[in-house]
Amino acid sequence: MKRKLLATLLAVAMTATLLAGCTQKATTTTETTKPAAPATTQASQEATTKATDSAAPVTLKVFSNLPDRKTGQGLVEQTMIDNYMKENKNVTITVEALDDAAYKTKFKAYSIEGMPDVVSIWGQPSFLDEVLAAGVLAPLNEADYKDYGFISGSLDGFKKDGVLYGLPRNSDIAAFYYNAKMFEDNGWKVPATYDELIALADTINAKGIAPVAMDGGDGWPLAVYLSDIMVKMNGTYSDIVTNAITKGDFSDPLFKQATDLLAKTAKAGLFQTGYDTQDYATAKNLFINGQAAMFYMGSWEASMALDTTIDEAIRTNIKAFTMPAVADGKGTTSICAWNGGGYAVSASSEVKDEATKFLNYMFKPENLSKIGWENGVGMSAQDETAFMTGSETALQKQFLDFLKNASNTSGTTVNDRGASAFKTSIESEIQSVCNGTVTSDKFLAAIGAASK
Amino acid sequence: MERLGNKKRPLSKSILWLILIVMAVIQIFPLIWLLDFSLASSNELFTSGLLIIPQKIQWGNYAKAFIDGNYLIYLKNSLLINTLAVVIVVLVSMMAAFACRRMHWKLNVPVKTILLLGMMIPISATLLPNYKIYSMLHMTDTIWALLIPYVAFSLPQGFFLMGSFMESIPVELEEAAVIDGCGIYRILFSVIAPLLKSSIATISIMTFLNNWNEFMMAKTYLSSLKWKTLPFAILDFTGEYSSNYAVQFAVMALAAAPAVIVYLILNKHITKGLAMGAVKG
Amino acid sequence: MNKLYSNKLIIFSLVLPGLLLFVFAILAPIILSVYYGFMDYSGMGKAAAAFIGMDNYKNLMGDKAFWTSLRNSLLLAAGFICIQHPIAIGIAAVLDKLQGKAEGFFRCVYFIPNVISVAIIAYLWKFIYNPSFGLFNNILKLFGFAGKVNWLSADNAIWSVLLVLIWHGFGWGMLIYYTGIKNIDPVLYEAAAIDGADARTTFFRITLPLMKPVIQVNVTLAVIAALKQLETVYLLTNGGPGNSTQFMGNFLYQQAFQAGKYGYGNAIGVVFIAICLIATVLLNKVFAEKKSARRLKNGTAWE
Repeated sequence: MKRKLLATLLAVAMTATLLAGCTQKATTTTETTKPAAPATTQASQEATTKATDSAAPVTLKVFSNLPDRKTGQGLVEQTMIDNYMKENKNVTITVEALDDAAYKTKFKAYSIEGMPDVVSIWGQPSFLDEVLAAGVLAPLNEADYKDYGFISGSLDGFKKDGVLYGLPRNSDIAAFYYNAKMFEDNGWKVPATYDELIALADTINAKGIAPVAMDGGDGWPLAVYLSDIMVKMNGTYSDIVTNAITKGDFSDPLFKQATDLLAKTAKAGLFQTGYDTQDYATAKNLFINGQAAMFYMGSWEASMALDTTIDEAIRTNIKAFTMPAVADGKGTTSICAWNGGGYAVSASSEVKDEATKFLNYMFKPENLSKIGWENGVGMSAQDETAFMTGSETALQKQFLDFLKNASNTSGTTVNDRGASAFKTSIESEIQSVCNGTVTSDKFLAAIGAASK
Repeated sequence: MERLGNKKRPLSKSILWLILIVMAVIQIFPLIWLLDFSLASSNELFTSGLLIIPQKIQWGNYAKAFIDGNYLIYLKNSLLINTLAVVIVVLVSMMAAFACRRMHWKLNVPVKTILLLGMMIPISATLLPNYKIYSMLHMTDTIWALLIPYVAFSLPQGFFLMGSFMESIPVELEEAAVIDGCGIYRILFSVIAPLLKSSIATISIMTFLNNWNEFMMAKTYLSSLKWKTLPFAILDFTGEYSSNYAVQFAVMALAAAPAVIVYLILNKHITKGLAMGAVKG
Repeated sequence: MNKLYSNKLIIFSLVLPGLLLFVFAILAPIILSVYYGFMDYSGMGKAAAAFIGMDNYKNLMGDKAFWTSLRNSLLLAAGFICIQHPIAIGIAAVLDKLQGKAEGFFRCVYFIPNVISVAIIAYLWKFIYNPSFGLFNNILKLFGFAGKVNWLSADNAIWSVLLVLIWHGFGWGMLIYYTGIKNIDPVLYEAAAIDGADARTTFFRITLPLMKPVIQVNVTLAVIAALKQLETVYLLTNGGPGNSTQFMGNFLYQQAFQAGKYGYGNAIGVVFIAICLIATVLLNKVFAEKKSARRLKNGTAWE
């Protein structure tokens, strides 16, 4: 009797665990103390029935690629979210934040089902082409943003066939951050020409310090460097690159020249030992711990000047300079700058109105641009002259000047101008051409093949 | 019964000891290095010493790792998923093994082959299609996204081991139970199961080890905090924005701690169980 | 009793969970993989995938990364079999002779890396290999070596990766061999001692031959593990630099999730599964023959 009971109990227990799992989704969401993002669209469906009534509770799901909510761009984003919730008591905003690679993977899953309402995007072909082909983003009314102060040309990368699908969040400039105190102590001068940069590398190496900390493990910083060289050599490269990608043919002499120079630079020891497999954090660490004299990265790292976890001696002495002029280069006053990151609204969002309202709120110049500027985060894609507080970090002022004094900008870097297969290929092959395993010609042939 | 070793000359014995100690150092030193560096501050890491004596022991590293690293949530999820997985694997494999080894039917060999096939399939090859399936079924980011594959891939091993151990149970016991009027389920759970204690232990340990440290599937199918398992403590922490190395070391030490502690305590049983499993397998 | 044991319904209920799991978590994905292997699909959205037949497979055969992956798996298997296993057997034999608490202690210590997550091991070794402050370069500095070795350079990376994998897997191999050695009947040792055999002869003439079945199992496991390698390489180098440390599992993951070539990734997956199955079957066949051949010569262990 007892044994039969045991057997039936076991069977019941098994089915119970199975069933419990099905209802677990609903119950665990109410158990967590933070407003956790429900995995299903059930919650937002409840909200849509009352979405039109602005006083009714609305839940907005924001999907972000900034996992660090305490510093830099992530802090800016979180601040705006918190402010919006304060001003609109009926709106609850839940945030899911993943680092770039995980973000892009999850984005693909979401593109099949369940895309959050407001998402981070990149206004570059490598990301946007596939996304728009899948019809994932909601079109925006460009006229709405006439008075938002967007810098001319910054919206271009976010449009397709004349329709706007997203708004740019940053204006990024590629630059060499340098440890000004180290330079001063050693009597080093900021190089005015590329040859001086190479010569400086020898001097710095002799001291046992890495000249430039480079995130070669990720590939894209090297591609940015290559683009930087190209714009310095030629003034512009948009048409040449687009042409090459469409035809799958990189035989234009500009590519070979630039690649050769890059390979020569790597061979001359400008980058730290092991740069081709070290990641972003490792490279940045070398710089902020005084093991490298310079750090080649985008303007978003200008917030280093305000990062209290960095030693004060270094933090207060970070300055920047853009790629020095290349001999016989036509682009002496051009800089490598682009509008990459941005936000968009999901086409399948159930609360599109509120989502668009939030998007517009973020981009009101007094929000994203102002808060970003005050937190020392690079530059937005909007006119920020109104937000000069007078207490900008020297670094911020420098970047503003770079942009102001540039005759033209390069636009999206080479690696992001094609499909993602091209992006993966060039970001991997560029490591090989830099460390000498592959010749420039083979590199160009490989990326040509990948862009077909 | 003397082992040959005791008849050896002392020199050979000390050479043996040396080899053993060298191996031990090779196996353990990286972990000691990890612990050592986790207690230093980030800029002290850039030294040329093998081990460093930190100026001030940075317990704060561990505090940061614990809090910012969401340690407790990950630990809880790992415990939950793994315990469930073990329970389900044991149950399902016991049932299936009993059916295939003891019950009388014609299809038991093909079914056995099918269930064992899982051992030959590389998990990574199923990552992509499973991801698509789970996306379509809204299963990504839920406990099922991990539980189902974890169980499915530990099942063949469990099934095989259960079968081997079952062989050694005399049929007479079952015959007696049948005479007593027991049904199949009662025979299985009241007669057979208690005799399979060591096999259950072995399978539990193996399944646990397989899945506790698994992260590839976790990384592919999960993204929000809710169900992330312990390996994420490290994966998440080493994102682009964590340039504090010493704290990363602390996170790694914390993540390794539960498994190592449990292992050290239950060492004898674990080794015996695994050894039995390895021999039978 | 036969009636009870032939009850179809009960049999069905017993195997159903197992079969369901298999179908859902293993079979269905494989079928889906085969399907997508014939498609050109980015993995994004509900956009229709374009049928391109065998194109993915044709491209795969011409893809250098694919052959590098195979080569690396072979290298790894060789590393396991030729480096890790001999050391493991040796250590197991030494441990066996040790007896007492020391034996238990060392056995415990050797297995510790195996209970630690691969994620930790990979990151730990990444730090060890760091040219600026890593353990290895510091050890070299201790010996007076001036420069900074780049352990993960294009030339060195694969060897560095192999080292990590061999180091990490040592515990398992040693444990299995140790169990095998423990199962050898001491009577044989006694007989050998009476015959005047020394330690070396005993080891090579008695221990090793009797370990053959265990060795075969371990070799099979090693080859399969070498093929299946993914997690460590993903974290350590992600196949880089420039695909030099690529392994099949990592390669297919990369193509599907990073290069937006979901169809291609699945084709790689299908080929990968096929290779694993063929390898398993081949190895089993090779060893089964040896086993039956040996059974014929039973009892002549130390000839």
